[in-house]
Amino acid sequence: MDSEPQRPKPILIAEAVAAGYGGAPVITDVSLQVAAGEVVSVVGPNGSGKSTLLKSLVGVIRVLSGRVALGDRDITNWATEDVARAGVGYVPQVDDVFGPLTVRENLEMGGYLLAPREVAGRVERVVSVFPALGRLLGRRAEKLSGGERKMVAMGRVLMLQPQLFVLDEPTANLAPAIAHTLLHDQIARLASTGAGVLLVEQRARSALEISSWTYVMGGGQCRTHGRSADLSGRADFVESFLGGAPAHA
Amino acid sequence: MDIVIASVGFGLVTASVLAIASVAFTMQFGITDVLNLSFGGVMIASAFIAYVVNNAGVNIWIGVLVAGVAGAIISYLINRFVLTPFKRRNTSPIGMVIVTLALGLILENLVLAVAGPNNVSYAMNSGPTLAVGAFELTALQIGMIALSLIIAGAIHALLRLTRLGKAMRATSCNAGLARASGIRTERVIASTWLITGALCGISGAAFAMNSGSFGSSSAELFLVVIIASVFVGGVGQPYGAMLGALLLGLVTEVSAAFITPDYKEVIAFIILLGVMALRPQGLIARATV
Amino acid sequence: MSSGTIFYITTLLVYGGVDVVACLGLSLQFGTAGITNFGFIIYQAAGAYVAAVLSLPRDTANGGFQTYVLGLHLAFPLPWIGGAVAGGLLAIPAGLVVRRSLRPDFAGVSMLVTAVILNTVVDNFVPLFNGAAGVALVPSPLGNLFNPQSLKWQWMYSGIALFMCIVVLLVIRLITESPYGRSLRAMREDETAAKAVGKNTDRMRMTVLITGGAVAGLSGAILVGFINLWAPSAWTYPETIVLIAAVIIGGRGNHYGAILGAALVPLGFLEATRFIPAFGPAGLVPALEWIVTGLLILVFLWFRPQGVIPERRHRLARSLPAQAAAAVSGAAELATGPARGQ
Repeated sequence: MDSEPQRPKPILIAEAVAAGYGGAPVITDVSLQVAAGEVVSVVGPNGSGKSTLLKSLVGVIRVLSGRVALGDRDITNWATEDVARAGVGYVPQVDDVFGPLTVRENLEMGGYLLAPREVAGRVERVVSVFPALGRLLGRRAEKLSGGERKMVAMGRVLMLQPQLFVLDEPTANLAPAIAHTLLHDQIARLASTGAGVLLVEQRARSALEISSWTYVMGGGQCRTHGRSADLSGRADFVESFLGGAPAHA
Repeated sequence: MDIVIASVGFGLVTASVLAIASVAFTMQFGITDVLNLSFGGVMIASAFIAYVVNNAGVNIWIGVLVAGVAGAIISYLINRFVLTPFKRRNTSPIGMVIVTLALGLILENLVLAVAGPNNVSYAMNSGPTLAVGAFELTALQIGMIALSLIIAGAIHALLRLTRLGKAMRATSCNAGLARASGIRTERVIASTWLITGALCGISGAAFAMNSGSFGSSSAELFLVVIIASVFVGGVGQPYGAMLGALLLGLVTEVSAAFITPDYKEVIAFIILLGVMALRPQGLIARATV
Repeated sequence: MSSGTIFYITTLLVYGGVDVVACLGLSLQFGTAGITNFGFIIYQAAGAYVAAVLSLPRDTANGGFQTYVLGLHLAFPLPWIGGAVAGGLLAIPAGLVVRRSLRPDFAGVSMLVTAVILNTVVDNFVPLFNGAAGVALVPSPLGNLFNPQSLKWQWMYSGIALFMCIVVLLVIRLITESPYGRSLRAMREDETAAKAVGKNTDRMRMTVLITGGAVAGLSGAILVGFINLWAPSAWTYPETIVLIAAVIIGGRGNHYGAILGAALVPLGFLEATRFIPAFGPAGLVPALEWIVTGLLILVFLWFRPQGVIPERRHRLARSLPAQAAAAVSGAAELATGPARGQ
């Protein structure tokens, strides 16, 4: 592990996490942290365990060893619904919306834990963050385009104003222009709510651009991590993960 | 011509009973992911409890309510003490079917052990025969059709307007995402068993009223028709189940009038095969739960 | 021994033989290949009916009091072969249904529904197999050698039944102990992986359904030759549950488990108790038997899903509840496999 530069006080801490689907662990000894208002990205090749890591943090699959904490609370192996209740908004890579439900109903489900009278106000607030959703409220989510769906998915978790957003490859299957808007505009808006954002991303270059800290996964382990700006300047990293000459900062 | 109108009238009554049962069966599958083959056993057990109450001098419509309460309690307990524990162990869907099959066998034979092998009938007054449009139906039959319309409306309101109903639809379409939204899906599922169990019990009593007399194994063939209307409508689709029930209720009764009542269920089966061959996903294809 | 005792013993031996043959067929399908066939009993029924009408004379004989098709009056063992063939042929439509089904539980339920409907059809359609009354006076095989009422014939028939058990066990072992058996178990554990390595699982499933159907048909033929009558009430759908209970309790995927299960559940628990005096009102004893059968299934699935004699191959011997998890981990291994090499 690299020596630890100064980072803000974390809200999510994972320590030496190992997790898998029942057989041998898919990821081992992964540690990371995310602070409030910070965008942290996890990059790495297909099958390196990025999604598995996120799923273990939010309670979708079991943590076999290690520990996950949110603020002062140990949330290791909490049920998904309890992790959500504790303030984590998880957007899975696929099946991220309730297809047959309308956009408004999707948002209402996101706000399921709110008092019923608060829901309408929160829907309005989500629409103010993602204005494009305003005219789609009555449409069924399955009828929307990929970019719109992802906005619904992020709007759904925004309903509870979580402390932490966990986004699993939000740009998968999106057209490049839409992916660019999503990463550079919409995710920044999520972070501007004061919450932390933990982002798994295939488009490593973009991920580095929008995040303050980056973890690099490979073979189920965390290979390296560091300030995103520093990583984009490191020739070894750029060569093996971005495939090309170092970007000009 | 009279025989057509009369059989369509019977068909509407049968379709009403079938609709209540099919909506409950399909919601159980859609929301809890269990193909519940103990459904017929719960129907008959509830119908028999209504019989005990009715036999003690209580009006049959109160008996129907009692059957609803009984069905809700039995189904809740089945879920709480058998299905949920097996699900927590990651039992495969087919393993769950074996479990419900065993439960159905137990329930049906509990009724046989208590009630004995002879059929029983409710004490009920069919009321005056009324002309509704072209149909001549008894007040009792009209009451059964009204009951099923009320239930269909209530289910629609539940699923579209209430927080619980929307959570049921969310759980049905993606339980994992529902949990990620903070919904305690196990509670939603428990509520589903209570509600659909009540419908199952009510349909059991209504089935017994419609057939005149019933015994411990009377629901076995009816369960086949329920399964047929559920699959014809599209598994897990409440509106599809209502449509399937209407279709199969009418076709089975009209065919009973023209061919022979012995093959009602066979006709239902042939319709099921036809729909499966042409449209395996059912008449209502997309998830509209 | 009194002749009464001998009749009792030989009857149990024949019933036991029939149950063992049927359970071996079900063990191949349910235990080895993982196909849950809730309609298994209809293959036994098909074998029994076909063996009956192949060995019976024309339906105008015996005073013409019953109606049925064929009536070919064939000599033993042709009716048995016919019964087995009938069971196998009847499995072909089931195989097609399973292939079209979206999920294994849908396939299982569709076979159950088919079994219930077929029973209704045979029950009501008299010209086929004499309807609800069933076919009676089915000739006893080799009844021309010894008087079927004699003890000699009883011993001979139980001997033949047990001999058939051994033959069926050997044939099924031949299948399951071969590389083909390994493929079947691979399909049961993880169909996606089996397909990925080039196994034609649709064809394997069809083969197993036909083989199991033929074995079930044979068991029906043996039974009908002994009891001389066969009617829809003998093959209602809960009879399949009894056989499934036997295989679950004995041990899925282990043929000796299936044999033990056959001896414990249908024979030891249900048949043997038919000879003890009934108590309580009519229907109480059978009702209690069914309740206990249902409870036994639940208790074994919960406390000992591997059965009394578990499957021998430890790596593959997973309980039913673990199968879902196994499938998930299998898929995950497939998905992450290439990455590990990096």
